[in-house]
Amino acid sequence: MPARIGQFAGRPVDGSAFDMLVPFLTALPITGAFISVSDASGSQSSLCSSDPVAARLDELQFELREGPQWEATRTGAIVLIDDVVESSHERWPVFGMALRELDVAALFAIPLVLGAVTVGAVGLYRSIPGSLTDRELSTATAAASAIASVAVRHALASAGEHGAPESSAAPAMRREIHQATGMIVVQLQTTATIAHSRLLAHAFGSARSVHEVAHDVVSRRLNFETLPE
Amino acid sequence: MSNASREAQLSAAFVKLADTLTADFDVVDLLHTLVEECATILDTEAGGIMLLDPSGDLHLVASTSEEASLVEIMQLSAGAGPCVDAFSSGRTVTVGDIEASGSRWPAFRDEALKHGFKSVHSTPMRLRGRVIGAMNLFSTRVGELNPADVIVAQALADVASIGVLHERNMREKEIVSEQLQYALDTRILVEQAKGVLFESTPMTMDASFGSLRTYARDHLMTLRTVASGVVDRSISVDELIGAGLAK
Repeated sequence: MPARIGQFAGRPVDGSAFDMLVPFLTALPITGAFISVSDASGSQSSLCSSDPVAARLDELQFELREGPQWEATRTGAIVLIDDVVESSHERWPVFGMALRELDVAALFAIPLVLGAVTVGAVGLYRSIPGSLTDRELSTATAAASAIASVAVRHALASAGEHGAPESSAAPAMRREIHQATGMIVVQLQTTATIAHSRLLAHAFGSARSVHEVAHDVVSRRLNFETLPE
Repeated sequence: MSNASREAQLSAAFVKLADTLTADFDVVDLLHTLVEECATILDTEAGGIMLLDPSGDLHLVASTSEEASLVEIMQLSAGAGPCVDAFSSGRTVTVGDIEASGSRWPAFRDEALKHGFKSVHSTPMRLRGRVIGAMNLFSTRVGELNPADVIVAQALADVASIGVLHERNMREKEIVSEQLQYALDTRILVEQAKGVLFESTPMTMDASFGSLRTYARDHLMTLRTVASGVVDRSISVDELIGAGLAK
């Protein structure tokens, strides 16, 4: 079953994960882009990259477990490095060193947000230094918001989720994922991001679709508070 | 002009503008309608609306006449004249007697007088705390606009500003996408908040939504802000339900 992509401004189409990068590459003055999402264990997994440098930026941060991509995913806030050479890289010293070897002059991380949940981040880089304008940041934020749920679906698909694809689900079922997330926030007394992650993890671990698990939560057949760890 | 007919004209102008704003429209057409109405209501002979472009220059986008001389006067007014003064100060600039304006704006003064204009009135166009342009009204008679006229001119200029925003939204597709995306994400946040309430109270999902809206209205907050507060727990469920029951 092919994954479905909701294009930034248009109708849903079939496509690969790479399609998610298109709005960023066409609308913004950047050299390349990549997307990573948090997996169920809170670790990151790579979804796609536009070129070898973008892939290396993604890979390095994954290996080193530090960098703007991690920070944007953890905090839900945009991270901007307008000039890689001038920046101190205090919060990611090792990655900062590694950056020097790459043709990267500016690097940005835009969180992928679903309401109160942060599911990952889009990394954008430029081979010449310089900031993004407020207008460009608004565009990047909107594009990131537009692809957030698609990115989750791709991550699940690549992790081997079976069951009905999201596109065939009724809108009410899609809403149930978000409602279940809110319920798990209360059940586990945690953040929306962790609640969402636990929901995905349970679905993956029990080889069921996220919709099925969410439906069980909303219909009170499943409670994460009483779930064995 | 009597107050009664002034009021009737003004309300007719607002109705016309309101009708225009709800349908697909062209901003230049709207501004033309507006400046024509304004010139008539305020009993002035000519008028024009100048808007700021992205590079910071004022451009004449609508006027009561497309005559070159009027366009020229408008541009002079926007370069060194009452128009740019109204724009940069954000305040109404009235010149009751252009001839007596001396050496303040010599080029503008000469050109205006050459075409028979004796007085000018510039009203800033404001939108969300920014000045986006100015509306100019010219008269062939000497004299200041009275305070009531100043208020009418500002009201009409404000309507024009809203029209411009509307048009920009229509034209800039990426902004429409952003607004759309923002609305979609707000919807997700609302669903998450409903889940929090559903789990914490005996309410149904529907009733949860109702209590979010009621709280938002009672506290003059957006639904998005309330939903966000419920999910990050900065608005407690007790507080929200209390508001719901109080209704």
